[in-house]
This record gives sequence, structure tokens and C-alpha cells, in this order.
Amino acid sequence: MLIWFLPLFLLFLMIGLPVFFGLLAAPGLLLWLNGQEKDITLLYRNVYNGMDSFPLMAIPFFMLAGELMNKGGITIRLVQFSQALMGHLRGGLAQVNVLSSILFAGLSGSAVADTSALGSMLVPAMEKEGYTRRYAAAITAASSVIGPIIPPSGIMIIYAYVMGESVAALFLAGIVPGILVGVGLMVMIRVTADRYDLPAAHKVEFDGVALGSLERWVSFILVRLNIGLLLWVIVPLPDTTGIMTWATFIGAVLVAHALMLALRTQVSDEFRTICKRAIVPLQTPVLILGGILGGVFTPTEAAAVAVAYAIFVAFFVLRTMRLSDLPDILSRAGLTSAVVLLLVGAALAFKTVVSLSYAPQILAEFILTLSENPLVLLFLINLLLFIVGMFLDAGPAIIILGPILGPIFVDLGVDPIHFAIIMSVNLTVGLATPPMGLVLFVAAAVSREKVETIARAILPFLAIEVIVIFLITYVPALSMTIPRLTGFAN
Amino acid sequence: MGFILTVLAPISWVNGTLLKIGRGIGIVAIALMVIAILIQVVARYLFNNALPWPDEAARFCMLWMTGLMAPTAFRRGGFVALDLISGLLPRGVAALLSLFLLLISLAILIVALPIGYAEVTGFGGKFATASLYVPTFDGWFRVPRSWMMLSLLVGVVLLLMVNVELILRSLIDMLGGGDRLPDLDLGDMAAGRE
Repeated sequence: MLIWFLPLFLLFLMIGLPVFFGLLAAPGLLLWLNGQEKDITLLYRNVYNGMDSFPLMAIPFFMLAGELMNKGGITIRLVQFSQALMGHLRGGLAQVNVLSSILFAGLSGSAVADTSALGSMLVPAMEKEGYTRRYAAAITAASSVIGPIIPPSGIMIIYAYVMGESVAALFLAGIVPGILVGVGLMVMIRVTADRYDLPAAHKVEFDGVALGSLERWVSFILVRLNIGLLLWVIVPLPDTTGIMTWATFIGAVLVAHALMLALRTQVSDEFRTICKRAIVPLQTPVLILGGILGGVFTPTEAAAVAVAYAIFVAFFVLRTMRLSDLPDILSRAGLTSAVVLLLVGAALAFKTVVSLSYAPQILAEFILTLSENPLVLLFLINLLLFIVGMFLDAGPAIIILGPILGPIFVDLGVDPIHFAIIMSVNLTVGLATPPMGLVLFVAAAVSREKVETIARAILPFLAIEVIVIFLITYVPALSMTIPRLTGFAN
Repeated sequence: MGFILTVLAPISWVNGTLLKIGRGIGIVAIALMVIAILIQVVARYLFNNALPWPDEAARFCMLWMTGLMAPTAFRRGGFVALDLISGLLPRGVAALLSLFLLLISLAILIVALPIGYAEVTGFGGKFATASLYVPTFDGWFRVPRSWMMLSLLVGVVLLLMVNVELILRSLIDMLGGGDRLPDLDLGDMAAGRE
């Protein structure tokens, strides 16, 4: 009888019951009807135990870091940096939009934050350059889905926690797929440039781009430290201890400095200033990923360090934020993460009933009657995820479907990390699909264009994202290579 | 309808005030979480000392942040739900459906309330936390687990109060008094989601 909780849950969901209550109502009702009242206490206990988690703390921290960075005025720096790199190409601002999304993804794990921050800046700028508003809004929405694919990513933290996977492995596995979505969109922009009559290539002029004295020094030091550290790690040096280790490191930093001096003659002053202005914000992903990869921080600690760094940048380096801005930012991050944490708690309770009801086994038997070929099944599951993604946000969808589908495909021989990436990318793309794509609504609000119009204009970009989903599905190496090379996956 | 409006006014005021206090404490809690984890990192690398308490203290704050802030999100319509069907239905039927859904959530919260109370006052709550102490006049007092578990119970109580308020609002709306409803303290719930 317990297996009926799944259709009951779907019914509750369809009629509009909040997912949190649905996750508890369906199993709770059936447990009660089954005479298992004591297990209802277990549901409550699991909600509490599900939320009482150290790894889960990364969610409010990453949300906070993203909010701080966004308010701190880093968006304009990333956009200008992207413009300096790609603005001179045909359809330059469209390309800049995608590249900015890739860079922004390293700071925030949220597609909504990406759409609102970049959209409010780039949509009017694109319109001014002759792009149609619907095209500008569509490319903003399509590229913003990169946000939760490239680390840090809220949905990956949730999936890792609910399914007992490594957050670091999922973060690393998301890098190539995220970049692939970006590159796919860039190619699509170039291929369709004539059809949409995109502006011709032209030189980008930057007026009045300045750099504060502290920022100049911070970026000066950060670049040398980063490149020096990279050289020190990758260049095979004899094993040293104590003072010799420091000496080799300082040597690497000096080499980095010499490299920078050689490079500075190759580019204009303006380009250098734009790059320097982007270094401080772009240090965030370096700090997060470098810290996790180097075994310095756990993902939760890396998230807290990212918050501290964002505060340091916003208050002391860029000086774009005041103390009075903090309560509002903390409140927004707290409110959104409270909802997610409750959902994760309820998902853990739901997962217990999923196991008790043998739902994955029963579903697996049913799925295996459709086909025994994992490739065909992965195709079908992609179809299912895509449809679910059209109606439900990625977070709740991954919370609901992870415990049900994950074990089935792992049994079929799909690597759990690979399956997590398939689910994450597919459901994230769902954020930009009509009729219920959250980022479509945000893009509509930011651009003041109708949702239906953006939904039509986004179709070519969605097509490329679907192709990327299938590439990721059928070429596991795309997601698995980095975690394997770094020892975070088998 | 006048009667329901009269009942709603004090509930709305109490909820608004309590949730505002809750948000204030939640803001402090999230700041303390960051500070605790940073202390952990600094202590480990600068002082070579793996402190036991920051992990538990940060979780303590996170649980209270969730319990105190989630009801505000519920009041502002920030709980994720599909509104496909209600969008297709005639206004009256949609209002009836919305009331039905609120009654389901009310039932869940009513069931959760005694369970939560029993958990806090029961066997599990009597254990002490692993590493959390508060100073008292008689020395250091080890924080019991029930203080952490209370966060979810408080969250359930606040959600219940918000749910009652939303039911009353829904009833007034159904009776055609939507324009006479007191304002909710609405904020932006979209930012930060996936």
C-alpha cells in the first residue's frame, strides 16, 4: 500500500500544495492509513535530522556570498572584462552576455541571480546596439542556466547531501558541462548572426574606467600569487622542506611577476585596467575551488571563506557597500535558504518512506520492462527530467527525483556522479523552458518583454542546450574526467 | 465577513510582529554561523587547534535561522508550489482550492505540533550537546539538545499561526473582501533560488 504515496504526492503537487507539505502529507497520510502512526514521528524526526547538517550550511553561505558580490558592484566589472575579451566580435554583446554568465557562475550558484544581475545591465545595452529586446532577454535567460552548473552550485550541494555524494566531486564534474553549455550558446550566436541581423564586429571603447589604489595593489598581489602558486604546483620541483619550500614558492611568484612584466607591453593600458578590475571578483571561484581541491577547506568552510572575502571586497576594496546594506542582504539569503533547508529536511523524511515502500525497486522493474539498454533508458530519463524541469524548479525537482531515480541508474551501472550531473544540467535547463521556467519570468520582469515572446525567441538556444544534455549523457568523460584526475571520483 | 476581519486583524499584527523579531534573530544567526566557521578555519590553520564547538554552534544557529525565517517565507508565498491548475480555474474555484490546500497544510502542522513537543521534552532532548556551553553564575552550563530541537517546534508553531492567518485571508477573499485585507509584509522571495 505504501507505494501509493508516489501518485498521491504527484496529485498533491499538481493541485498546488507547496512541495514541503506535499513531501510530508503523502507519506504521512499513507502511514496513518497503514496503521503505522509511530512512523509519522519518524518523519518529523527525519525532517529535523535532515536539516541538522554541517555540509548543508554551504547553501546559506553561498547564497550570502552571491548576494554580497552582486550588491558589491562586481557585475559591471565582469561584463566589462567579457567585453574586453569578446565585445569586438560579430554579435559582441550577445557573446559578452554568455561569457559574463560563465564568469558569474563561478561566484553564484543561482540562475535567477544571474538573470537579474546581468539582464538589468545587458538587455538595455544590447537594445541600444540594435538587438531586439526579445533576443537580448532570451540569450540572458538561456545563458543564466550556466549558473547552477558551474561551481558553486546550490542544487549540487542539495543533491550531494540527499544522496550521500561528495560535494567536491559534483562541483568538479560540473565545470566542463557548464563551459560546454556556454560554448554551445556562443556557437549558436555566431551561426545565427545573419538570421537575426546581429551588429557587425567593431572595436569596443571604454570611457573613464578607473582603478582604486587599494584595488590596484590587491589585484597586483593576487595575480602574482595565483600564477606563482599554479607554477609551484605544476612544475616538478625536488622535494623540499622548511625554508627551502618557501624559497621555491617565492621563486615561483617572482617568475609570475616577470611573466606579467613581459605581458604588459603586449596589451593596451585600458585592457590591463579592465582585467585588473575583474581580478578581485574572479578570485572567489579560485578561492572556493582551490581551497576544496587543495584539501584546505571543506565545501562549507570554503563557502564561509567566500562570504568573508565578499565582505572584504565590498567594504574595503571596492567600497561599494555600507553597513546599513547588510541586514537586507542577510535577510534575503536567510529567507531563501530557510525554505531550501526545510525542503531538504522534508526530502530526507520522504526518502525514508521511499526506501520503506520499495518504490525504487518497483519502479526499476517497470523501467526495465521498457528497455534493458541503459542508453535507451538514459534517453527516456532525460525526456522525463526535461518535462519535469518545464514545470518544477530545479531544487525541489532534484530533491524529489534524486532518491527515486538515483538508485535505479546506479544499479544499471551509471556512475552516481555522472547521473547527478545529468539530472542537474537537465533540470537546470528546465529553468529556462516554458511554461514554468523561473528564469523566463525573471528575464521578462527585467526586460519588460512578454514571457511568451521570450519563450519563442529562446528556442534555438534551448535546442543547443538539449544537444549538450545528450552529449553529457552519452559521453561520461565530459563530466567525470576532472573529478577522476583530481582523485574525487573512481 | 466583518467578524473574520475582526479576528484577522490581531492575528495579522501578532504574526507580523513575531516574524519581524524572528527575521531579526535569523539575521544575527546567519552572521554568527559565518563567524563560527571562520573561527574554526582560523583556529585550525593559524593556531593549529581544531576547535570542537564552532561546527555545533553554527548548526545551532542554522536550525534557529530556519525555524524563525521559514514562516516569513511561507507568509510571503515563498514556499515552492505549482500553480498550473489554479491558473486555469475560474476565480471562485481557484479560491476554494487554495483554501483546501491551506487546510491540508494546517492538518500537517497540527499533527506535527504534539510530535515536536514530545521530541523536545522527551528522551532525545534530555541529552546534552557535544560541545556547547553557556556561562552562568555557577560556572559553565552544557546546552541540552532540546534547545536545538526547539527550533523546529518554534518553526511549526509560527507556520501554524501563519497558516491560520492565510486561511482567514483566503476566506475573506472568497467572500469578496480581498480589497479590505491588511497588507502582508511582502518581500522578494525569488532571489537566490536556483
